[in-house]
Amino acid sequence: MAGGAGLTSTPAAATPSAEDRGLPESIGRPGPTAYHRLNPLTKATLATTTAIAAVVIGGLIGPLLLLAVLVVVPAVAASVLGRLARTALLLALPIAISAVLVNVFFFPGGQTELLRIGPVVATAEGLAFALEILVRIMAISGAITLFYLTTRPADLVVDLERRGVSPRVAFVANASVQTVPAMVERAAQITDAQRARGLDTEGSVWRRARGIVPIVGPVILGSIAEVEERTLALEARAFSRPGRRTLLWTPPDSPAQALLRWALVAGLVALIVARVLGAL
Amino acid sequence: MIVRWVAALAAFVVVAFVGIVVIGDFSTDAAGDSWALVAALGLLAAFIAYALVEYLQTGGFGSIAAQFDMRTLVLMPIAIAINIILGAAVANALKIPIYLDSIGTILVGALAGPIPGALTGFLANILWQYVIPPPFQGTVAAPFAIVAAVIGLLAGLFARAGWLRPRPDRPAGQLAIGAVLALAVVAGLALYAYTRFYTETFEFFNPDTTDPLFVVLGWLIAALFAAFIIGFLLLLFVRRDLTVAYVTVAGVITGVIAALISAPISANLFSGVTGSGTDFLVAAFRQAGSDIQAATFQQGLLSDPVDKLVTFFVVYLVLNAMARRTKARFPQGELLLEAEEPGTADEGEWRGAPA
Repeated sequence: MAGGAGLTSTPAAATPSAEDRGLPESIGRPGPTAYHRLNPLTKATLATTTAIAAVVIGGLIGPLLLLAVLVVVPAVAASVLGRLARTALLLALPIAISAVLVNVFFFPGGQTELLRIGPVVATAEGLAFALEILVRIMAISGAITLFYLTTRPADLVVDLERRGVSPRVAFVANASVQTVPAMVERAAQITDAQRARGLDTEGSVWRRARGIVPIVGPVILGSIAEVEERTLALEARAFSRPGRRTLLWTPPDSPAQALLRWALVAGLVALIVARVLGAL
Repeated sequence: MIVRWVAALAAFVVVAFVGIVVIGDFSTDAAGDSWALVAALGLLAAFIAYALVEYLQTGGFGSIAAQFDMRTLVLMPIAIAINIILGAAVANALKIPIYLDSIGTILVGALAGPIPGALTGFLANILWQYVIPPPFQGTVAAPFAIVAAVIGLLAGLFARAGWLRPRPDRPAGQLAIGAVLALAVVAGLALYAYTRFYTETFEFFNPDTTDPLFVVLGWLIAALFAAFIIGFLLLLFVRRDLTVAYVTVAGVITGVIAALISAPISANLFSGVTGSGTDFLVAAFRQAGSDIQAATFQQGLLSDPVDKLVTFFVVYLVLNAMARRTKARFPQGELLLEAEEPGTADEGEWRGAPA
């Protein structure tokens, strides 16, 4: 339990890349293209409304249009199309495979038989439905990945804090993003340590399953043991002081972007209303 | 104070009303199962209304912020990271039909209370979708944020009621009563789920069934239940810890509620598939003749109670492994310690002891 506590001492020391370590340099640095330099909230609004709209519209053409206009065009503008395609496809692969297999072969009420493998039948209705789900998945994962590739998490959090989100929530969000890689690194170290003591992590499934407890246990308990130190460190730096704090830097915003955000939200609301009333 | 609660109640009623209007009559079959989702959305709206009124009255969120001391705030990112890492590892690598993505949520709920638990679950799913880098990024986490919030809320309420307090070395009679009551609650919930969601499409033990797959599946589920009951009784009587019964009931109740809320979301979003091990169950139930909605409910009501049961036990073990003083410093930590027997204080014995 105590073995894990001292391995990674601070979250900053465990951030994945070296360029994120020097905070002032990283946070104030403007993005490479105009799309990167948009306000983080604008990009987040675009991603969210695109994803929700893809579900609301449904069908094949709607989500594909959304994908082309609101994901591919901005991605070209930000010159991240290649990376976007790779990341989004990789991310969506498991659910896409599931959606296609489950819907093509197990579609309730499918009549038109395409293929029969034992008791399992592929139907044309299932294929059509699977394609609909597939374009929906592509639109959603494309929109979110575009946001992810062009925005630093810290920028979004700082921007939200400037807009009045509590610094406590901002702290939780920022710290979570840093804790994930730190905890993975801790798990890797504990795995190495346990293997050095003779834990079998490569044999049969049953052997590997038995290895989960001596790895996961110290990771969780060691992380919780750190809570005390961090609490004292933050208290010592007056984190719980009441009142607003001054932010040294915030991502730039413009009235045009504010207008764009409200237009996106209004468009989405109109879409939902039209859908509920049956006009679409 | 009164105004805030009235606003919250009004928001809940409005959302419930809109939900009924949009979904239609609750007696129709597919829509009738969405009541849990509507209720959860109503709770969310009530919370927002409460916060808004408080902000208008006082210019801050004093009564909500008071729930979050520094220690809870430091625990939350760790809990969120535990959720995301374990959830992603189980979904992507193991392909077993459970999730294990709410250990952190339930841990915070138990240690800090319902509101911090709910916020942990909610934030975890939002962050999972938007800002966590691959390979841990979630494809479909954000739509289920409301489910995670309800799980954290329930965990906080169970802990506040003292259900997670250790009760070691109880006499066999008490343990037997606890075992009977816990199994009765679980059986009652199972009966509800079975009669409500499973009987229409297939029978587990019908020998005339055309598909041998379902005879196997039926026996598999029966074996699982038998293993669960044996394991439960073993744990209860070997550990002699009455809390095992409480943890079981808490886990199963949370699981059933989580399944009822998440199934309509999952069915309408991606036709019930999530890219993880639960998809095998969805495929199996569809093959048996269920439609998309029904198959998703059937999968959820099988996966979620097992998942939450395992999660609650893991959290209970983690809590037991934590030092007493570490636990006691959290807002709800006192409720996770063994109750002190009156009259057995060390001091008194020491004074009376002969030199």
